[in-house]
Amino acid sequence: MRWPGLAVRLAARNLRRRPGQALLLLLTLTIATGVLGVAMSLYGSADEPWNRTWRATNGFHVSFTVYHPPDEPGDRALVAALRRRATTQLTGAPGVVAVGGPWSHLYGSIQIGGGSEDLTAEVRDPRPSEVDQPLVTSGRWLGEGDGVVLESGLAATLGASPGDTVMIQGRPFSVRGVAQTVSRGRFPLSRPAQVWVTPETARQLRELGMAEEGFVLQLRLADPTRAAEFVAAHQSLQTVPSSSSIVPYLETWQQRRSESHSDIDIVAGTLFAAGALIAVLTIATASVLIAGRMAAQIRQVGTLKAVGVTPRQVIVVLLVEHLAIAAVATAVGLGIGRLLAPPIAATSVTLLGRPQPPPLTVTRVAIVAAVAVAVVLLGTVRPGLRGIRQSTLRSLATGPRPPRRPGRLAGLAARAGMPLPGVLGLRSAWRRPGRLLTNATGLALGVAMIVVALALRDSLELLELRPPEPGHAASDAAVAVLYDQIRAIILGTAGLLLVLATLNAWIVATFAARDAARNQAVLRAVGATPRQTVIALIVSQLGACAIAVTLGIPLGLGLWSLMEGGDLPEANLPATSLVLLAAAVPAVFAVIVSVPARLLARQPVAPLLTYE
Amino acid sequence: MSMRDVVLSLLAKEPAHGYELRQRLAQALGPAGGALNPGQVYVTLSRLERAGLVEAREVAQPSQPDKKVYELTAAGLERVMDWFNDLTWSKVAPLEFHLKLVAAAATRLTDPVALVDSQRLELLRELRQLQELALRESPDSDGALLLEGASLRLQADIRWLEVCQQRIVEREAR
Amino acid sequence: MSMVLEARGLVRRYPGDGAPIRAVDGVDLVVEAGEAVSVMGPSGCGKSTLLHLLGGLERPDAGELYLGGARVDGLSETRWAVFRRRNVGFVFQAFHLVDELTAVENVELPALLVGVSRRAARHRAMELLERLGVAERAGRLPDHLSGGERQRVAVARALINQPLVVLADEPTGNLDSRATGDILRLFGELARAGQALLLVTHDARVASTADRLLTMRDGAIVAQTRLGAGTSVAGLLAGLAELGGER
Repeated sequence: MRWPGLAVRLAARNLRRRPGQALLLLLTLTIATGVLGVAMSLYGSADEPWNRTWRATNGFHVSFTVYHPPDEPGDRALVAALRRRATTQLTGAPGVVAVGGPWSHLYGSIQIGGGSEDLTAEVRDPRPSEVDQPLVTSGRWLGEGDGVVLESGLAATLGASPGDTVMIQGRPFSVRGVAQTVSRGRFPLSRPAQVWVTPETARQLRELGMAEEGFVLQLRLADPTRAAEFVAAHQSLQTVPSSSSIVPYLETWQQRRSESHSDIDIVAGTLFAAGALIAVLTIATASVLIAGRMAAQIRQVGTLKAVGVTPRQVIVVLLVEHLAIAAVATAVGLGIGRLLAPPIAATSVTLLGRPQPPPLTVTRVAIVAAVAVAVVLLGTVRPGLRGIRQSTLRSLATGPRPPRRPGRLAGLAARAGMPLPGVLGLRSAWRRPGRLLTNATGLALGVAMIVVALALRDSLELLELRPPEPGHAASDAAVAVLYDQIRAIILGTAGLLLVLATLNAWIVATFAARDAARNQAVLRAVGATPRQTVIALIVSQLGACAIAVTLGIPLGLGLWSLMEGGDLPEANLPATSLVLLAAAVPAVFAVIVSVPARLLARQPVAPLLTYE
Repeated sequence: MSMRDVVLSLLAKEPAHGYELRQRLAQALGPAGGALNPGQVYVTLSRLERAGLVEAREVAQPSQPDKKVYELTAAGLERVMDWFNDLTWSKVAPLEFHLKLVAAAATRLTDPVALVDSQRLELLRELRQLQELALRESPDSDGALLLEGASLRLQADIRWLEVCQQRIVEREAR
Repeated sequence: MSMVLEARGLVRRYPGDGAPIRAVDGVDLVVEAGEAVSVMGPSGCGKSTLLHLLGGLERPDAGELYLGGARVDGLSETRWAVFRRRNVGFVFQAFHLVDELTAVENVELPALLVGVSRRAARHRAMELLERLGVAERAGRLPDHLSGGERQRVAVARALINQPLVVLADEPTGNLDSRATGDILRLFGELARAGQALLLVTHDARVASTADRLLTMRDGAIVAQTRLGAGTSVAGLLAGLAELGGER
């Protein structure tokens, strides 16, 4: 049979023989790729709706906004001058093909629910504008009469449709229509609320007490990709005397787009960080898993070598096996990403329209696949190489790497009067430093996960809202919704981390028990009771636990500080929780280890001792 | 190898003349039969007749000269039984033992399995003796070397006897 | 003489395709104090299973087992372990020393389990290693010992609590001929010193060191014989010199 076919057959046979381990590896890898896939999908989820609205409204390429506090009359002259200068400079600038505005902004309030909310009224000519003509979703655009057009987020919050009445500045105005725009974020996450009014209506509003607070001028360029250069070229417009409180602002359409759905970004950011953490952890867990399978397969390596298979071909078989798992995990992870991202994004209130599942760009697939492959490679290569470098005979004789020279620790323990099983356990652990470190590292990552989970949970308390201020009742409610989402995600992530930590501990424990199986059998043949062998095994693992706690807690705190670079608030875990953790981990791990240990101890001794 | 015992055992099943005896012998020996001198059978037969262990009869044949048919006497039969029960193991023993087994299976005068068992146990006893002797020698002496040689041959013979036993058991199972 | 080991009607079954396979099919067996017994048979005849049953490493499906007069076939795992550490010594084909313990730590293990003080256990262990000629290897890990040395350490471990009986399963199976000779000599000395021994083997050399030989086939003991003395020494030597030919 030709070699490639044989390699696949061997790989398939290995997978079938130990399906449990393969499934565990698949599960861990899929969790990592799934979380990464959701995060990456979310990053792009909202782009399409924004883009569609932007195209449909002839959205701006460059926007110049000037804001000044309405109750400072001293700046009025400066603002008027700036308005004239900007209009002249920008309208005639090279590269500009269309201009919208300048449109004045009035500041006032609108009744929502039982309270009032800040409101901006943009004064527009009813005739269609070449730039940023809002897309009417129901009713009509501005025209005769004093009807106002509501921004769609505001309309959704009010539950208002064309023909209804809204109370602005205490006076009812009829709703002429509802429209979408990209030049302002969606209410209530973007505040203040916005309506469009005709100049006549604006006069009425001024009489009712609404005051000027600035204007906006919007441009479309011949080449939208050069918007940033355009902005750089007109920086001078943004300089104002420092004594004034005028705020001029030039921005590109790309900047606006990325800011427009910041809550998704927060969610995505959280998920991405969690995904990265989980990916790192998965690497460790998968390495432990793969190393465990390798130990079982080292003998196969020896057999293959004895039959004349070259080392390279041996690695090929191992890689085929694990890459197959990685491929499945990638596909499933990406699929989960595509499925889950839109529902998560849809719950976000800033989206314009229904979210589309983003296309599977090559980059995205490549990143997720790269993570899965990296895990596999890191886990397979080192144990595989070691197995190949061993002499064939050694590999055939099975058995793990031999222990090092004896140490003093166990001797001390024995002299101190520790019971025999404990001493045996200590000796066992001490004389295999390689395995001790591997287990400790795996467990340390588990401990780090728990630390991060605890920090996440603590940080929830810090997501407190400000006491509701007058003028922000409805938007505060919306922000509360967002925070609830974040809370749910945080708790979910913390829960996931705990699950993974337990899974990780279980894997380490199972492999430890399996490695110790033969020694346990020998001890029982010599007259140790089953319980004594279980104790010996548990004690031998406690060393790894101690190291894990020492490494894992600082590691977890470090990872947390890296993560909170986003919008997550900083958390300070009290020392008492860390101490409790340090005490709880060994106790819980001892319980976890005792399960496979006891299962092994219950098996009859003889089969474990027969010469293979 | 004792030709007399072998020829006697071949006659134990039923009387035969010289040519038939040679055929029976050839069949039992297979390829090893080539080493045997064909005349040996006739020489042995006359010696056995003189010793009173076989007697000869003339049988008339229609268109051929008379044949001489040989038959075991009572003394001859006794000699065959003694041969079966003799556990001495000489250097050329395998050939002789093989013929013993063949004869035992053909004549049913003794149980082949029991034959192999008792011979094997005897060899084990000899092996034990050898090992006790070897213990008294220093491991590097020439005497130890010779004893090791004898011990290895005995082990080989014991292993062969186990194979014989296995073969008999399998045959009887069918 | 008293019996150190008595088995009556031991049976051990395994599930097979169709009817269960009887690995040990109604075995009766006795080992007297100071006696060396060997069980011989082709591979697959059940002799290893029999040994495991006699030492409590496997449970019989039927039958009775007595060690030192006490009935042991129904003991729990824990009770068996306690009984075994004091009364039974095992020697395995694959040595089965604990990898992470040095030679002397392996040997003293059963003594420590019984409750002997650390110092006394260490002393006894070193004595035994001395007797078996591996005292300079006492501080080494099993991985750094040759096969013959490992087996001698295993024998020392089996002897440290002066057990009722030593059960050995193909003790020379993994050894070269030199080491085999050493171990055979060792067993011979043990037998002469009065240690009760049960050797399971398919090797004629090992079997012939015993006083009594049991032949096992298909799970049952089919023959039993005393090996005692064979032909006289003179006759044996004469036989060696024989050149063949007619008698």
